[in-house]
Amino acid sequence: MQLLVNALIAGSLAALIAGGLALVYGLLGIFNLALGQTVLLGGYATWFLYQELHLPLTVSILGGVLVGILFTALTFEIFVNPFYRLHRFLPLVTTIALSMIFDGIILLLFQSSPKSIVPGLSPIQKIAGASISNEQLLLIGATLILLLLCAYILHATPLGRRIRATVQHEHAAMSLGIPTGFLFRSVFILSEALAAAGGIFIGIDQNLSPTLAFPITIKAYAAIIAGGKGNFWGAILCAYLIALLEQLLIGIHWFGAFYVPAGYQSTVALLFIIVFLLLKPTGLFVTHSRTA
Amino acid sequence: MDFLWHLIIIFGTWIPSVTTYTLIFGKGKMLHFGPVGVSLFTAYVTILLATATGSSVLGLLGGLCGALLLSALFAWLSLRLEADAFGVMSIAVHLGIIAIILNWSSLTRGALGISRIPRAPFPTSLFLFAMVMTVMSILWILAILAIDRSSFGRQLSALAEHKWHAMSLGIERVRVHFLAFAIGAFSSVLATFSYLHYVGLLHPNDFQFPAFILYVMFVVAGKPGSILGSTLAIILLVLLKEGLRFVPQFLPISVSVIGPLQLILFGLILFGAVWWRRDILFVKQRTI
Repeated sequence: MQLLVNALIAGSLAALIAGGLALVYGLLGIFNLALGQTVLLGGYATWFLYQELHLPLTVSILGGVLVGILFTALTFEIFVNPFYRLHRFLPLVTTIALSMIFDGIILLLFQSSPKSIVPGLSPIQKIAGASISNEQLLLIGATLILLLLCAYILHATPLGRRIRATVQHEHAAMSLGIPTGFLFRSVFILSEALAAAGGIFIGIDQNLSPTLAFPITIKAYAAIIAGGKGNFWGAILCAYLIALLEQLLIGIHWFGAFYVPAGYQSTVALLFIIVFLLLKPTGLFVTHSRTA
Repeated sequence: MDFLWHLIIIFGTWIPSVTTYTLIFGKGKMLHFGPVGVSLFTAYVTILLATATGSSVLGLLGGLCGALLLSALFAWLSLRLEADAFGVMSIAVHLGIIAIILNWSSLTRGALGISRIPRAPFPTSLFLFAMVMTVMSILWILAILAIDRSSFGRQLSALAEHKWHAMSLGIERVRVHFLAFAIGAFSSVLATFSYLHYVGLLHPNDFQFPAFILYVMFVVAGKPGSILGSTLAIILLVLLKEGLRFVPQFLPISVSVIGPLQLILFGLILFGAVWWRRDILFVKQRTI
């Protein structure tokens, strides 16, 4: 039971980050390799506001999300927008440059030592024999609400229909008067704001460290690729599946003989996805679109 | 004078792998983001095998086999996945190798790395080492230039420009990809062996992401696909990198600040280089 709860916690965090990114990939067809830095920036900004400026936690969290949004807007205008029309792979390289710049800035401002937004142990609840903290319960609940909200927006509102139409065929959507430029910008910023919120959760539940950036990025994109690139629900399902796989790998006494050490947790999951993609490169769910 | 020999040796440790990477990423447009992972894997296999058997030759052969196997995996991934998905998953392979090395400490000594690597009996002095590296670099550049101008180089360009058109003309995509990655494996063995022999220390931190970003920067700044351009970029940017170490002697800043400053500066250079090369970095297909 504890393994399932742990998978639900880790999966909720991954789904929060990967869900928005799947939409971005569907709309723009780009990968942002500075995603992990956005996640960390949200966490570090909250840590700074709460621990150094001693602002209330709620205000600090809102400040962290706001910093994430500002950073994302800057990322889009400087590192994505001038390039993705030329070639959709260009932002992959420009965001590598951005990740390097922000790694340097994070190291200069916050050093490499781990930082926790709320140090100390938080109260633990017992649910069906499994232990879970209040913050973790909040994360699971918030992710569930956000996913339901996304489902409602995507499938029951005119905005959702416009987004889905643009994902299916950008030029057809433009010819029908859909403002695709505005949609690109807003979905990109919204998705990365969710990623920054994920960073704040990491800072509250665990510790922030500059070394986390690339593993977060790669795990989120692995979920998107394994889910069938651009498929929103596929990415979310795969985020939960990867988290479950990670928990089962280290939590089970394999063949009654050995445990997989915790250090290999994410590695084995990533290698499993690589093998899976070698067999089924399109991922679990393929989104087909008509081409001329 | 020793610093000059040191610089020449450092150029020599970069040239084989970067000029080959130019062929793969710059000319072939394969988003291979795992060349440092190959070097890391090669380095550990070489050293561990050489230590276990007491033979450098066996270590080197083992390293070459390891590099070829890992490169074959990358080639297979590049054939199966779309280019951008391959880019992300090649970083995942690199991450996986780092995690295994850091966690399998009984074999790899984890984050401590492996120190006191025995040096080969030749070259005996820094000057001779620099000369050997110069000759090796020139020979490697000539070999890569020959490959670049051969039918194989043209096949690589054709596949990068239009996969289906190239294949319809009889170019075997599988053969070209495996061959390109195999050349990458050879260059990684050469570069890793000379680097380890010079430094005498194998540390996983030297093979992290900043090292990989340097690869991309050398290729983009030197003009994608240009062997001589990337060689010139290596010389200029390594000079800048090594020169930054002397900044604390002239400016009132702490030594600990140099690492993050280097990351910021190189990130800005990479961004500037992509901006400059934005029209030629990836092939634009003609549409109507």
